[in-house]
Amino acid sequence: MKAFEYFKPKTLKEAFTLFAKYGGKAKWIAGGTDVIVMIKQKTMAPDVLISLRGIPGLDEIKFNGSLNIGAMVTHRTIEASEIIRKNFSALTDAADYLGSVQIRNVATVGGNICTAAPSADTATPLLVFGTQVKIKNLKGERTLPIQEFFKGPGETVLKPGELVQELLIPKFLPNTGSAYYKLQRRLALDLPILGVSVLLSLDKNQVSCSDMLCTASPISSVLHKMEEDGIVCKEVRIALGVVAPTPFRAVKAEALLRGKKLSDELLEEVAETAANEAQPRDSLRGEAWYRKDMIKVLVKRMAMKSIERVVQPEETIFPERLW
Amino acid sequence: MRERISFVLNGEPVELEIEPHLTLLQLLRDRVGLTGTKEGCGMGECGACTVLLDGKTVNSCIFPAMEVDGKSVTTIEGLTDAQGNLHPIQKAFIEYGAIQCGFCTPGLVLSAKALLDENPKPNEEEIRHGIAGNLCRCTGYIQIIQAIKAASGQ
Amino acid sequence: MEEFVNVGKRIPKLDAEEKVTGKAIYIHDLKVPGMLHGKILYSPHPHAKIINIDTSRAEKLPGVKAVLTGYNIPPIKFGVYKDNVPLKAKKVCSMRDEVAAVAATDPDVAEEALHLIEVEYEILPPLFDPEEAMREGAPLIHEEHVGGKEKKPTNVLNLPWRLVAGDVEEARKNSTYVAEDRFKVTWVAHCCLGTSGCLAQFDLKNNLTIYSITQIPSLAQRDYMEAITAMGLKDKKVRVIKTMIGGGFGSKLDTYAFEYIAILLAHKARKPVKILFSREEEFFATSPRQPAIIDIAQGCTKDGTLTFRDIRMILDNGAYTSWGATTPSVMMMPISSLYKVPHVRYIAKCVYTNNTYSQAMRGYGNPQATFAIDSQIDILAEMAGIDPLDFRMRNANTPGEVTPQNFKINTCGLRECIDVVAQKLDWRQNRGRKDGRGIGMASMIHVGGGARVYKSDGCGTIIKVDDFGTVNVVTGATDMGQGSDTVIAQIVAEELGVRVEDVVVTHTDTDICPWDVGAHASRTTFVAGNSAKGAAKKVKDQLLEVASKSLGESPENLDIRDRIVFSKKDPEKKSPLGKVLRAAHYAAGGSMLMAEHFYDPPNENLDREFKGNLSVTYAYGTHGAEVEVDKETGQVKILKYIAAHDVGRAINPMLLEGQVYGGATMGIGYALTERLILKDGKVMNPNFLDYKMLTAKDVPNIETIVIETNDPFGPFGAKGIGEPGSVPTAPAIANAIYDAVGVRMKDLPITPEKVLAALKEKANPK
Repeated sequence: MKAFEYFKPKTLKEAFTLFAKYGGKAKWIAGGTDVIVMIKQKTMAPDVLISLRGIPGLDEIKFNGSLNIGAMVTHRTIEASEIIRKNFSALTDAADYLGSVQIRNVATVGGNICTAAPSADTATPLLVFGTQVKIKNLKGERTLPIQEFFKGPGETVLKPGELVQELLIPKFLPNTGSAYYKLQRRLALDLPILGVSVLLSLDKNQVSCSDMLCTASPISSVLHKMEEDGIVCKEVRIALGVVAPTPFRAVKAEALLRGKKLSDELLEEVAETAANEAQPRDSLRGEAWYRKDMIKVLVKRMAMKSIERVVQPEETIFPERLW
Repeated sequence: MRERISFVLNGEPVELEIEPHLTLLQLLRDRVGLTGTKEGCGMGECGACTVLLDGKTVNSCIFPAMEVDGKSVTTIEGLTDAQGNLHPIQKAFIEYGAIQCGFCTPGLVLSAKALLDENPKPNEEEIRHGIAGNLCRCTGYIQIIQAIKAASGQ
Repeated sequence: MEEFVNVGKRIPKLDAEEKVTGKAIYIHDLKVPGMLHGKILYSPHPHAKIINIDTSRAEKLPGVKAVLTGYNIPPIKFGVYKDNVPLKAKKVCSMRDEVAAVAATDPDVAEEALHLIEVEYEILPPLFDPEEAMREGAPLIHEEHVGGKEKKPTNVLNLPWRLVAGDVEEARKNSTYVAEDRFKVTWVAHCCLGTSGCLAQFDLKNNLTIYSITQIPSLAQRDYMEAITAMGLKDKKVRVIKTMIGGGFGSKLDTYAFEYIAILLAHKARKPVKILFSREEEFFATSPRQPAIIDIAQGCTKDGTLTFRDIRMILDNGAYTSWGATTPSVMMMPISSLYKVPHVRYIAKCVYTNNTYSQAMRGYGNPQATFAIDSQIDILAEMAGIDPLDFRMRNANTPGEVTPQNFKINTCGLRECIDVVAQKLDWRQNRGRKDGRGIGMASMIHVGGGARVYKSDGCGTIIKVDDFGTVNVVTGATDMGQGSDTVIAQIVAEELGVRVEDVVVTHTDTDICPWDVGAHASRTTFVAGNSAKGAAKKVKDQLLEVASKSLGESPENLDIRDRIVFSKKDPEKKSPLGKVLRAAHYAAGGSMLMAEHFYDPPNENLDREFKGNLSVTYAYGTHGAEVEVDKETGQVKILKYIAAHDVGRAINPMLLEGQVYGGATMGIGYALTERLILKDGKVMNPNFLDYKMLTAKDVPNIETIVIETNDPFGPFGAKGIGEPGSVPTAPAIANAIYDAVGVRMKDLPITPEKVLAALKEKANPK
């Protein structure tokens, strides 16, 4: 592996000063599970790595209805957090899927979004949460919505010397449930063929057919039953990963459902619209036609899972194959 | 240019001067000479290089050695006690046929240890989830899962 | 059923403690003083002429001690067809072709030196499709290669793969139902967790010692001897020492270019040279399982009796020839002898392309052929309106049968295997629902009593007993993790009346160990076991002879049990083993107990027509699967998996189960997720992220069922089990998928995309 110098600043100021000193030769390193691999694969060749591990205050989780996640919080911490599991379920899903225990112990959520792979597991959950990204640099800070954070595959809006300090997830409406599905070929150590996140805020948290929810009944039958309850989707967010240069929100699909009554037909149309908003490609890891088809299937399923999480909030562990 | 690090390795304090770009795996195998930790892929994709860092598993092949400063590292060599007795997990692996070629074994034993330290009575799904980051080609995992269950006293 | 003390017991593997404490030394851990590191430069093109290789800059790099190219090495040809050379000089035929090699003081320096080597190529048109490569006028991969009756230049290898029994054309006419299908299987990788490597070292007299992870130490020794003779080193010795092996599965059944390169570098640099593959090299520069395009027709009578099997295969041979080209010789086995089928015809063509080339991999052609055969059995059964369970039972092989390939089936537990799988799957209840859940089964046959592939199928054992009753067993067999060391210890302990812990098994050094043809064809328990048993019997005879003097009892009346020699007539007349041994040794004209036995099984080479009793006995088995298919995503989930095997006798049930679990998991990956993706000759997924072998979360709960038919020829009745677990997995799963959703998958791996596409096609046929 290419040689590099390794610095461990104790404060943010020290970190920024170091970065300014080395300029283009330096790169930040958080957990290192992406950076070290990229250096080994020769897609990155920094002379200097500046570690963020020793800087206090970057790895805290603060919950107050809204959620602040420090950029250095590991996926393992997220996976184990009851607060996140109950209130921000899609992010727990993502952490649960990501890599392996060994990777999750080290890899950080900040690192995950800064590597900015179109397949990043935490990206679509953070997108549907309407997350704000707090960016810090030598001179000050700026905050922007995560939709504006990703620029292209592997590219963010971060300027050299800037880093992500924390993620701010605003408080949701009552009766909100979220879910993330990683379509993958095996159940661990895998990258997604497609990633789908959905967040729904409903106007009620009880449905008359709740017993149908954890059965093998087809989605359409369950939805038809639910139509009797006249559930309104006060908020709808749908985000897709892998099927565009960056993870993105399927805003047209969202608009169809926002404020409307939930029905099988409408959800079908929403899923179809979301699929059309994507630009899936053929790649080593999957075929475009399949990705597009699966958007339709999975948007529906993750909507159902989100509803389940509103209606049966104690049971946030679901069988792997749902519906 | 070399940097000095000091850490605890298998219960003993160690002080070394290392090149800053060394991975923890290189530190253990090449500098300290503990070859029990294996390199299966070098990219953090197979878990053969798993060691415990402050009790938590990491893939040492992609872990910067500079970051072990002030921490404690446990490798497979550190599992036997001072008298050389095997750890219960090691005994269970032997008794349940969980070892064939043995290349994945050191990493797996440590993953199993981290799992049981955190969750002393895991069910089968939790065991599979806990060791999913360790690939094994010989055993098909079944006897490994049986061994871990047995080691947990279930 | 006799009561055994050591046989049939779940004894832990002898080297488990070494491995679980991290003390075991693999090739990766081995260091010798003065050792250099070797690295190889590969071709960036699938097909090109080499115009020039300039190594001058590399040679000047500090730390570089030797640089080699095809221009400056002696002519060494290796490989089954002798069409491969360690470093290419004239042209490159694949992207794994070795073009230059460097030995340096440091692996990083060696790597850097590779970048300083300049090679000029003239690109030639590549061929990646074997069917295209067969056509007239296709570019030639090896211009000097001629073939066919007219001896014209061709990409088709001159291999005689043709098996005919009976009259297939006639049988076809007389069949009520005929199924015809094309099946395709592709490359999959062994994925040994320990990557390949070796360490070559010459002594002052130019004798070679090579630390290796080979499965064939005796044959490799011979290959290396040929190489050093070609290097001008006449009458020199070669010693092969095995380190602990990090997985085999057939990948170490041949010698590779890197081994010859290490030897050449070591000779040039006058220093030991170690070459270690990176994981990436392991994927693209070692040889995967043989792919095949299989056209198969089978027929049956109205009542479901099989009439014929007519198979044509095209095998992508890749750029050079290794064991993959010989897989047809093993594919003949299920073709002629899986189920009773009187008329058989099989023709296989191997074709050069610019792809990677294949080797032996667990099953050695059997999984490929069985996928086609036993999938089509279900197709045929459906045509005939007969339940596939009944169809299989009707045609099942039976003990005493002689198959169209002249295999003499002695013990055969096939019926029992089919039966128990059907029971476990609740076959009559669960089949035919077509509601997304389905069950399926498939069977297999494999050699179980050695395989006379070469002129010798033998294995030697030397046993010596010391003054205290420690038994040293020196065997030619290779343990690569499967447990042959332990099984041999159990067999010897049983025969000699000692405990397993009294037995030490040595198997690692050709200077000490007798000849063995290699760990292949699932032969080790049978052949090495019988060899060890034979030597143990000789030692026992010596022992009883010696004991008869001190116990005053004739040898026929003596026996040994649990380290005590005793009289069968009067058990009170006894003596501990150690005492008897010391008495024999420390006396005038004393003796020490030692014996050897070379066991070469009474099987036959196949004749010119590929007929003959290849093995002494045959292993049968059946796998069954219950699957759930997600009709919207095409994902297949295995709910239940049963693997029933006729093993003769389970010498060590725990290690045997390990072979079945491991083999079946590999086979399930073969069926559903694994694929070495080649595009324009380049391996696109040379890493564990994109090569999808199963993780601990993916493997289903596999239930193994052991059927013991007590083979009269096997050591304590045992047959082979190393490969059978990998053989019938794909057809069992494919048959279950058909039962679940009515689509027939004929192309491995059965990915969700393929299933979904098939479901859509079924709903809306074009």
